[in-house]
Amino acid sequence: MKLFVSEGNPHCLKVLAALEVTGVQCGVQTVSHEEKVVPFLSRPALPALLLPSGQYLFSSNAICRYFFEANGQECNNLCNQWLEWETTVLQPALLQTLHMAVLQGKGSEASKVLQSPLNVLDQSLSKGNMSYLTGEAVSVADVVLWGTLHPVLSDSPSASSEHESVRTWFDRVAALHSCQSAAQKVLQGKGLQAMKSYVQKQPAPPSSQCRDAQPCNS
Amino acid sequence: MALRELASLEKYLGLKKPNKYSTQGDKKIPVLQNNSPPLVGLVTIACHLVKESNHQELLGDTADSRAVVQQWLEYRLTRLDIYTKEDIKTVLKDLNLYLQDKVFLAGNHVTLADILIYYGLHPIIVDLAVQEKEEYVNVTRWFDHIQHHPGIRHHLPPVVVLRNRIYTSRHR
Repeated sequence: MKLFVSEGNPHCLKVLAALEVTGVQCGVQTVSHEEKVVPFLSRPALPALLLPSGQYLFSSNAICRYFFEANGQECNNLCNQWLEWETTVLQPALLQTLHMAVLQGKGSEASKVLQSPLNVLDQSLSKGNMSYLTGEAVSVADVVLWGTLHPVLSDSPSASSEHESVRTWFDRVAALHSCQSAAQKVLQGKGLQAMKSYVQKQPAPPSSQCRDAQPCNS
Repeated sequence: MALRELASLEKYLGLKKPNKYSTQGDKKIPVLQNNSPPLVGLVTIACHLVKESNHQELLGDTADSRAVVQQWLEYRLTRLDIYTKEDIKTVLKDLNLYLQDKVFLAGNHVTLADILIYYGLHPIIVDLAVQEKEEYVNVTRWFDHIQHHPGIRHHLPPVVVLRNRIYTSRHR
């Protein structure tokens, strides 16, 4: 089994943290963003995991889920729901934010994109009244959402100033040794700028292109 | 769309008790109402329905195949529900290469990944010209196999797939 990662790639935060939290034995190889690891995909996709069966996983959430399951921690309904929300709502918003903040230097506008998902997360956390997203123990959902939010929340504490429950939860997960060492490996203490070369190689998110060329629906 | 898929999946799984659904937001994200608390999201609900049925094997029967199933379920949400024309070509090209040496998306039998990718691909395959169907021959073969698998097609019209190439040479 072998995990392929690249430096400054925000998706690698969660898989490295998940690997360390679960203690699964797996070799890690750092490659360049452009390296084609998964043979059947036309675009490079990292991180990627080569499974013992010889198959490849090319989505960071599926990889995290695999590590947790190997450690005997299966994902329940609530956990599945958070992962689906992260994939369909949070990740697109985050990529748009990174694109605006890292490439266009629009930091303050960028943080607005995340307001609505952060509201959802904050409401749920304050209603649930639990230490972590799915209960009193860290689950794959916590690691995945931490990894996605790390680039924006660790850099500027003000980004979540109105979201007290998000901040408390985020700091709790971020304090885990596994998360700290994953962040160090991927970002090397350089913060958002460490992701520049990665973000440059990604296609521009549709809504930010749209915002630049007003009016939107002409 | 998603609600009809879930209704078809319920029938395929042989669930007797009908569930109550609603949708959320502009994207009409399905919500399973008769669960406490309500469950949100197509894949989350579909996995829940499978767990309720006697067909756990649909989620994969080894750790590897369970991961591969989840991988393609996520692919369905991120690549097939939001796409541009250019994306479709990449999706079909990648799937075609992936399916080159495979009968199913994960493991050796049909899984939830085959079912939901089939539902998600249906509107795309319906629009393909015959020549394109031949270009993506492995996708077409897999698609035809799944649509003929007993109990899966339900709400969708069958797509005609020619089993013999007609464009063997361009100028005939």
